[in-house]
Amino acid sequence: MAPAELSLKLKAGSGNRVKDFLNANLVNILAALLFFLLALFLLYPIIAVLVKSIRGPSGFTLEYYRTFFAKNYYYRSLFNTLLLGAINTVVCLVIGFCLAYMTTRGPYPLRKPLKVISLVPLIAPPYLFALSLIILFGRNGLVTRMFDLHWQLYGFAGVVISQTLAFIPLAYMMLENTLMSLNPNLEESAYDMGASEATILRTITIPLMAPGLLKAALLIFVMTIAEFGNAAILAGRTPFLAPDTYTMITGESDFNMGSVLSVVLIAPCIIIFFVHNYLLEGKKFTTIGGKPVASEPRKITPVIKVPLIIVTTAATGAILICFAVVLAASFYKILGVTDKFILANYLDFTSNQAIANSIRVSFIAAAIGAVIGVLLAYVIVRGKFFGRSFIEMASLSGFALPGTVLGIGYLLAFSAEPLKLTGGIMILALNCVFRFLAVGVEAGISKLHQINIEIEEASADLGASFLTTFYRIVLPIMFPAFIAGFIYTFMTAIVSLSAVVFLVSPGFQLAAVKIFDAAVYGEIGIASATTIKLILIVMLCLAVLNYVTKKTRLGSGLKQPVA
Amino acid sequence: MSGEAVARPMLILKDVHKFYGANEVLKGISLDVKEGELVTFVGPSGCGKTTLLRLIGGFTEISAGDIILDGKRINDLPPNLRDTRICFQNYALVPHMTVAENIGYGLRINGWPKGKIRARVNDLLEMVELQAFGDRMIDRLSGGQQQRVAFARAISLEPKVLLLDEPLSNLDANLRLIMREEIRKLQRRLNITTVFVTHDQFEAMAISDRLVVMRDGLIEQVGSPIEIYERPANRFIASFVGYVNFIDGRISLIDEATRNTFVETEYGRFEIALEQADIAAGDEVLIVVRPEAVTLSLDVGIKRPNVVCGTLKSYMYAGSLAKCTVEIGTMKMIIDQYNPSEAHHFKQAEQVAVEIPHRVHLLKKKKQA
Ligand SMILES: Nc1ncnc2c1ncn2[C@@H]1O[C@H](COP(=O)(O)OP(=O)(O)OP(=O)(O)O)[C@@H](O)[C@H]1O
Ligand SMILES: [Mg+2]
Repeated sequence: MAPAELSLKLKAGSGNRVKDFLNANLVNILAALLFFLLALFLLYPIIAVLVKSIRGPSGFTLEYYRTFFAKNYYYRSLFNTLLLGAINTVVCLVIGFCLAYMTTRGPYPLRKPLKVISLVPLIAPPYLFALSLIILFGRNGLVTRMFDLHWQLYGFAGVVISQTLAFIPLAYMMLENTLMSLNPNLEESAYDMGASEATILRTITIPLMAPGLLKAALLIFVMTIAEFGNAAILAGRTPFLAPDTYTMITGESDFNMGSVLSVVLIAPCIIIFFVHNYLLEGKKFTTIGGKPVASEPRKITPVIKVPLIIVTTAATGAILICFAVVLAASFYKILGVTDKFILANYLDFTSNQAIANSIRVSFIAAAIGAVIGVLLAYVIVRGKFFGRSFIEMASLSGFALPGTVLGIGYLLAFSAEPLKLTGGIMILALNCVFRFLAVGVEAGISKLHQINIEIEEASADLGASFLTTFYRIVLPIMFPAFIAGFIYTFMTAIVSLSAVVFLVSPGFQLAAVKIFDAAVYGEIGIASATTIKLILIVMLCLAVLNYVTKKTRLGSGLKQPVA
Repeated sequence: MSGEAVARPMLILKDVHKFYGANEVLKGISLDVKEGELVTFVGPSGCGKTTLLRLIGGFTEISAGDIILDGKRINDLPPNLRDTRICFQNYALVPHMTVAENIGYGLRINGWPKGKIRARVNDLLEMVELQAFGDRMIDRLSGGQQQRVAFARAISLEPKVLLLDEPLSNLDANLRLIMREEIRKLQRRLNITTVFVTHDQFEAMAISDRLVVMRDGLIEQVGSPIEIYERPANRFIASFVGYVNFIDGRISLIDEATRNTFVETEYGRFEIALEQADIAAGDEVLIVVRPEAVTLSLDVGIKRPNVVCGTLKSYMYAGSLAKCTVEIGTMKMIIDQYNPSEAHHFKQAEQVAVEIPHRVHLLKKKKQA
């Protein structure tokens, strides 16, 4: 861009006092505006939940908490949730480790396919696994009927299995990342000294992975206990906190107890957040530089090889089977019960209506989310004001909060004038915007770190106003980040269930909620077909994103969203 | 190599090949390394030095050929069963263990009793002069100290062959000089057969019994540092080990009795003492002139044999030597003038006389086919 143009702009604008003030303080004004939005749409709903949990008809009370801790049922709910989190974390870590070990240390031809299969669940809504377990092992499930079994899928085991499958990609990604970052020469040195594979694992690999393992464990724990869909579909009579919150609100309209359950659900998240920060403080093992080298495959001893093969085959096999049965089920009214091949599930009006609604909501959410995300990223990276790190933390926290909490929070915060939004489409969109804000912000931050601040300063030196600089220099460079933020937000929003399930109104169904309802009521065909449609939409988004990334070389630094 | 071998060969490479997919990285490497010898592989980046070491260590599968260690073929043995020990460029020290634990790792793995481990580790610490550092964590050590730990760990189990992959490349210049002497001293004292890899020619010459110059997966020349430097087999080797000026010429006459030779060049006739047997009259040759072999003077007027005149284009004083560029016709010759303070300080654009020594190396040019 010609410098002359820039300075011309300035000359035209100078002399006007309001404009000068704007130019000088725009980052701050922007920050204040964003801060206000975060406060209104993120903090306020959470505070509303906290307040609701301690305020009865006659003011402050701890009665509701007393109820929680007095009733056996809630105890069991809490206990089940924590136990689920613990089992899930351990199993996911084991499976994730085996997969990551194979894709980073195993034979070359296996590395790529195993990696792809491990990541495949990311393109599907996590509750796909609940659905496929019903298709296989439910009362009328394929396996149940084939062997005439009398077991009970609904309950603790069902939830654990579906959750485990859903969180394999997260565990895999984190552990693969850790394993990749280890210097392979360390293991090779041990090997060279005479250590066996098992000894290398015990004395070198696992101790080196400790910080990464811990981090993965905490994150998986937090995300599994907050996850709603699988538990709600498969829990049956077994109480879990997240689905219980839902029944408390929709079934009994008891907002006070719903809020208490929510607070109890947030508590472990917050505790773990601090534990995480405390434990990982200064716990970074540094290794001496040198070229990073990909690990060459080793001859793995059978003691290690056999369990590795069993676990990886079982995990990848299960993932593939789950996808396959949902695809198959989408062409039958109820797979295994009715054997007429039909397309009716795909043509179902309510399902398509719900998909259309979901696209609308997600589109609005993505547009707003991408704009706010890019602006927030700019303010976080370039701003120099008090409270900057607070804004950063707040904008990234929506992701970590249990969706159910933000769902109830929005119900509480925006159901009365002057902020009445309930029943409309905007409350759904805004909820998605602020839950998944981190996605757009991350995209923006990673892009901004690639721009030299000098370019901006050079432009400012030439006399361009802040607005001009932002408009002519920053925005064009940020455009790819905007696109990435848009697509990621869209993808994440369209499959998300846990918050919107509280907010949909009877006349305005969303696809995720439609799948949930259909799965609960046994309309397996409809649920499967709708799921497949969502998967196709997500795949399309990924293809577009891939294309844009290639075009603009947006590059790495973007994390895959996991929700 | 003629068979003056006194010591038996400890490591034999027989026509070693390595393919990565269709890419042939090693194209037939054969070499005997004698017991107690330090052999260095040098060569430009990507010529396959690391690959060769990894092959000897057992980390990479050999595609064809044989590796024989102390009389036994070890092609199919995994690293933990080979009596070789590798020291990686980045040291590969275990960050969650102390210095002593790192050094004692191999001993522990191999089931040494605790007391013996302690004694051996103490000996090793003393050997690499780290007595006071046994309880330190690795990341509290300097680069040189880490290097010593890695070395101590590598020799802890007294391997038959020690493999060192650019062990000094992460150290700064001064430390490199010190460390290479220490490594050489210990290697001699313990009489460990060692294969050393570096792409620093000077380091290679300083430390080795024998040098192996590699290019593109092939051995170009094997010899003592003096042989390689003074009698390089070809142009690539000549310019790889140190800087070199080449002068094109043709042999016009060889006096068979004195081996005195006349080489005709565009700068006149040079008289050279011929040492190679394979050069005959009429051959096209390159005169290999090292920068330090040339004498620079102001005696431009007097006509003497092997002296040509030129213009001094640049003169860079650097203490122990001055780097000069002299333009002679179309050629720019680089000349190192040692002890420049004692000698004449030349000025830019001055006319100077350049004397080529009587004993220089000649390279026979390949006939263009
Ligand atoms: N694991 C591998 N897979 C495929 N190609 C490889 C692998 N390791 C090395 N190569 C190739 O083999 C060739 C030789 O590599 P090598 O690391 O042995 O070179 P080097 O001589 O050690 O170089 P440097 O001086 O840079 O360390 C290079 O072209 C490299 O790209
Ligand atoms: Mg190398």
